[in-house]
Amino acid sequence: MFAHIFVNRLKCLLRDRETIFWTMMFPLLLAVFFNLALSNLNNGEIFKAIDIAVVDDNNYQYDQYFKVALDEASKGDDRLFNLTVTSKDNAEKLLNENKIAGYIVVEEPIKLVVNKSGMNQAIIKSFIDNYMQTVSSINSILLKNPAAQQELISSLSERQQYVKEVSGTNAEPNNILNYFYSLIAMACIYGCFFGMREVTDIQADISPLAARVNISPVHKLKAFIYSICASLVIHLFEIFILLMFLRFVLYVDFGPKTGYVLLTAFLGSVMGISFGAFVSAIVKKSENIKIAVLIGVSMTGSFLAGMMYQNMKYTIAQNAPVLSYLNPVNLLTDAFYSLYYYDTFSRYALNMGFLCIFIVIFSLGTYLIIRRRKYASL
Amino acid sequence: MQVFKLCLKVLKKNIPTMLIYIVVFLVVSLIMSSALSKEMQADTLFAQKKSNMAFISEESSPLIDGLKQELSKVANFVELPDEKEALQDALYFRSVSYILRIPEGFTESFMKGENVRLKKTTVPNSYSNTYIDLSINKYLNNARLYVRHIENISQESLVQHLKSDLSVNTSVELKNKSDKVGKHIYANYFFNYMSYSLLSVLILGMTALMLVFYNNDLRRRNACSPLSARSINLQFILASLLFTVITWMIMVAFCILYNWKNSFNLNTVYFMINSLVFAFCGASISFLIGNLVKSANAISAVTNVVTLGLCFISGVFVPLELLGDSVLKVASFTPTYWFVTGNNRIAKLAQFNHSDIEPVLSCMLIQLGFALAFFAVALVINKKRRFQ
Repeated sequence: MFAHIFVNRLKCLLRDRETIFWTMMFPLLLAVFFNLALSNLNNGEIFKAIDIAVVDDNNYQYDQYFKVALDEASKGDDRLFNLTVTSKDNAEKLLNENKIAGYIVVEEPIKLVVNKSGMNQAIIKSFIDNYMQTVSSINSILLKNPAAQQELISSLSERQQYVKEVSGTNAEPNNILNYFYSLIAMACIYGCFFGMREVTDIQADISPLAARVNISPVHKLKAFIYSICASLVIHLFEIFILLMFLRFVLYVDFGPKTGYVLLTAFLGSVMGISFGAFVSAIVKKSENIKIAVLIGVSMTGSFLAGMMYQNMKYTIAQNAPVLSYLNPVNLLTDAFYSLYYYDTFSRYALNMGFLCIFIVIFSLGTYLIIRRRKYASL
Repeated sequence: MQVFKLCLKVLKKNIPTMLIYIVVFLVVSLIMSSALSKEMQADTLFAQKKSNMAFISEESSPLIDGLKQELSKVANFVELPDEKEALQDALYFRSVSYILRIPEGFTESFMKGENVRLKKTTVPNSYSNTYIDLSINKYLNNARLYVRHIENISQESLVQHLKSDLSVNTSVELKNKSDKVGKHIYANYFFNYMSYSLLSVLILGMTALMLVFYNNDLRRRNACSPLSARSINLQFILASLLFTVITWMIMVAFCILYNWKNSFNLNTVYFMINSLVFAFCGASISFLIGNLVKSANAISAVTNVVTLGLCFISGVFVPLELLGDSVLKVASFTPTYWFVTGNNRIAKLAQFNHSDIEPVLSCMLIQLGFALAFFAVALVINKKRRFQ
């Protein structure tokens, strides 16, 4: 009996192209979009040289050191500035037309004129600060050791990096990963469409097909479990394809614990399907309403787990930690992330524990609602 | 005006579905645009927001105290227990964004002029961390100059010198135009997001309309009615335009209501014109899709793929500056890209001379071009499909 129901159910579900699209093609497409949009974020900041001007007056011509420093910073391929040396009026005009980010007037102390405050303006300011502070250091060194002038100039050019990044764990912290992890979580919870169909096709008061199935001499629970197995197999296969696609086509890093990643995906899929079944059993309205509830819950969950805007996840974790444990999408996302990032398993185990509680609630709820339904008439 | 009335009836029936989209999108765009614009504003101020950092030192010396004092200009210190798990969690929940560790023996090696480094663990891609890096490097590089060129300098006098050196600051003159420009960040984000919601709702409504009208039996029935084809088409177009304009008005109204204080200026007018042009472009895209889609089931799939795809590659969800060059090249073949570019340019406008406006106008013209192109393609397909 199992083989018969299972195989036919499999055929049935595979022919439902709409569900297959939403549960498999849609996450794959989103993954491609994410990759297109986000791939550049990790390749470091894209820095474009800043357009600035300096007022060409006696002070500027007289201040040899500053002139050299500015020229140095405006040369080469990885230059900091595109420098224009011009009159004050012209600089003012360029600034008004937004052609430059700001202009510099050499006086005591050096003045920077800007028309708004932004990243570029902060960089210019920091450059000038740095220059003036170094000059101040040099002056006080020369007071004590006048002989050092030549050496000083040469040691000026060799600025050092004094901090190096050490990762808190073996994994590099990576912001982009959360988007992909929450995407997998969304794909998992989209299993709810399968769960919904299973309940629709077994509850005699919802569809004619279910009415027919109910009068067949098969135990209802058995028929339900067999056919939900078919759903689970299909959905697991879809999630597996998604994971493969992410790992081997888009090169998303899952960390070294492959077995646990698969386990998480498995539990996620079970959670998704049982969630759909539960909602479908509990909401006694039309199919459209059920779909609206499912999409509403899974999209809100994904949003709160940071799929659209990553910092959302941290905002929730800081301000309403309870919410982050009540959101199955976030639990899954977090489970993937802790597998990747942490050496220890405590966080992962916590997430999986909560996830299992959800699965138990959904399954038990579904069971209690659909068992022993008898109909006098339909 | 029977056809016109029928169109409105069909659209009215679809209001609940569209309303869900409108409400969800509006809420999301309101949250996102205010969150992002706040983030942007925090980044753009000269008096930067101090970020939180943990300062873990395995030794103590005057040099390190001096460094800590210097860092207090750019960061707040948070006390954390020196345990791996606690530090990881702190980074994870962003209670600190930067952990600096000073290894034992650092001061001694540094004073000898050896090449030593501090260790940092950070939340990646955070602007404020750059300031901490800069600050540390500045302090230690200047210190190195002293150590190298003044023999046997004591730590105390070194710290004294550095303190006075690093208090030198550039004077900045900020022209008062400044706040006017920053004011439009919110509207800029909102209108960018609007391309997503507007496009979704337009596609939903138009396809629903066309599925009814282009049903073959109904078409045959309409063809033998005493109304001329021209009148039918004109009424149909009129209804679609009305629908487009109303959808557009609802969304713009929300932006203005929410952003009441900063709404009454020329920038907002240009934002509105730009989005109206985009709305027409969206209407012609929906007309094209309506001609291609044959079943009601496929509508939501197509809607999502088209809108999400367009918005991801053309700078709605991820700012244009962060997209790769190859993606941008592809994106420049989409109307959304030009809509977003137009919005970004409008947000920066401070003067409204002819030369300032021109780049904005060209964005609008390109969108109009797209609208015409999509419409033309749709007409060709429509002609071919007629009475198959």
